[in-house]
Amino acid sequence: MNPVVETKNLSKYYGNVLGLSDVSVEIHPGVVGLLGPNGAGKSTFLKLITGQLKPSLGQVCVFGQKIWNNPQLFADIGYCPETDAFFEDLSGWQFLTWMLQLHHFSACQAEEKANEVLGFLHLAEDKDRLIRSYSRGMRQRLKIAQAIAHDPQLIILDEPLNGLDPLGRRKVIKYIRKMGEEGRTVIVSSHVLPEIEAMTKKIILIHQGKIFASGNIHYIRELIDSHPHIISIKCNQVRDLAAALIKAEEVIKVFFTPDPQEVQIETRQRDVFFDRLQKLILELDLNVEAITSPDDNLQAVFDYLIGEK
Amino acid sequence: MSSLAHLEKKKTLFFPSVRDIFKFYFFLGLNSRRSRLFLLSSIVPIVIAAIFKGSQILYGQPRFSGLFIYSNMIMMFFLHFLILIMTLFFGSSVCREEVDGSTLPYLVTRPLHKMAFIVGKYAASTLLVGLTVTFSLAICFLILNLTQLGEGGIYKVLARDAGVLFLGVMSYMALFTFLGIILKKAIFFGLLFSFGWENIIQYFPGQTQRFAVVHYLKSLLPAMTQEGFPFLLFRLEPTPLAQSILTLLGIVIFFLGLSCALYAWKEFIIDSK
Repeated sequence: MNPVVETKNLSKYYGNVLGLSDVSVEIHPGVVGLLGPNGAGKSTFLKLITGQLKPSLGQVCVFGQKIWNNPQLFADIGYCPETDAFFEDLSGWQFLTWMLQLHHFSACQAEEKANEVLGFLHLAEDKDRLIRSYSRGMRQRLKIAQAIAHDPQLIILDEPLNGLDPLGRRKVIKYIRKMGEEGRTVIVSSHVLPEIEAMTKKIILIHQGKIFASGNIHYIRELIDSHPHIISIKCNQVRDLAAALIKAEEVIKVFFTPDPQEVQIETRQRDVFFDRLQKLILELDLNVEAITSPDDNLQAVFDYLIGEK
Repeated sequence: MSSLAHLEKKKTLFFPSVRDIFKFYFFLGLNSRRSRLFLLSSIVPIVIAAIFKGSQILYGQPRFSGLFIYSNMIMMFFLHFLILIMTLFFGSSVCREEVDGSTLPYLVTRPLHKMAFIVGKYAASTLLVGLTVTFSLAICFLILNLTQLGEGGIYKVLARDAGVLFLGVMSYMALFTFLGIILKKAIFFGLLFSFGWENIIQYFPGQTQRFAVVHYLKSLLPAMTQEGFPFLLFRLEPTPLAQSILTLLGIVIFFLGLSCALYAWKEFIIDSK
């Protein structure tokens, strides 16, 4: 089966600054997560595959055709940009109907489709308000709406969950999965691993403009799980908890911080550790204030993985 | 799965793309703050005309006829100020406001012929500015010629002048559209061109004045008497009518074509935040 998106030795330079380097990927129908820390090159990659940027080297094909200066392909592509920019003097409904009319839908068809999508994304009640008065979450939903309203086969979403409330996130994640199950191709970028995990098993890790790894999320998870994690727990009996955890095999280190109610644990087996922690919380009747993972951000994981490779 | 065969059916055509872009930007323009601001500024010559006419009525026999004042207003206010400033702000923003406002991705990811964006938005801006200028001109004309409104012949003057101003709007809009694509500070350079070059070069003798767009616009209007401007050392040396029209249309085609080609070729980098 031909890939929907195919890049060969794709590179992009902004003057002397490297944006993307020698990227060759094939993307087939389904949901694909593009994961990487901020500044990794995710947006550059998405702009290249949507023909907004011209490759410095290599080539990009979408639906088997070169994308640069080939606007007819956009009849079947939906793109949600990362930037929070709109035609602020329009209402949400006007914006969406005009965007649909720019897809050559008639005014009636555009209105019908706009109402449907705005209803689905819970914007129907606010559709006549000017976009400038929308909250961050509403603006984000509107951006997603314009990307999916024309029913495209390829949907490219750049950080679509930014600014969404938990309910909105869940709904969008569910919708993305559904589109993947329907055989559409959805490319979603994010710097938050759990977000991507919730949408797909197919993942591309991008770092410093290069594809660092790609494949099934379990493989990536294994890589990431081999990274020692630091977990911080704030509770009322930190010393009792520390005494219990020091015996556990999966715990590498236990250390205290200046905060008398905080203990930090280093582990290589996060899942096993969390199972044990749940039991201990019940056994010791702990009053837990917070459980956080100070280095559980993608940059730390990438730094670790790069050091390991 | 989408195939090439099904994409064939959706081939992006130039004129439908121009039509859709034009409709969108004309609608946006009608509702924009900038259009309202310029509509207000176009009322200034109407107020001036009303003051002239009012003083004529109040203080008796005027020194100048209504038509004379009207002709001077076209030269001084419309040609040398209003259409320059309006086309500068609308024209230079055809591409630049989408880049600076980060709204370009919404447009370049639609199945629209790339060059159609420039032509469609140019056409919408030209019509908006043209209508605003014509509205202002027509009201000025009616006010200043209040006593001659029954004479059918004078409306030909209005039609001719509106046509000249519209040609001016088309020419300057194309020029400033081009400036907006190639320069980041198009407004600054546009102001230098409008109130520097265009205003100075036309007073140069011989062929030099032909390097100003306004020269060809003035050539389309009847020669003004110089009695009001005795300080002028150099006079307009008009270009023949047909040559002036062709030159102005040539300016439109040249700069619009160049803008389209440049826009299709150039990539615009939008800041992420």
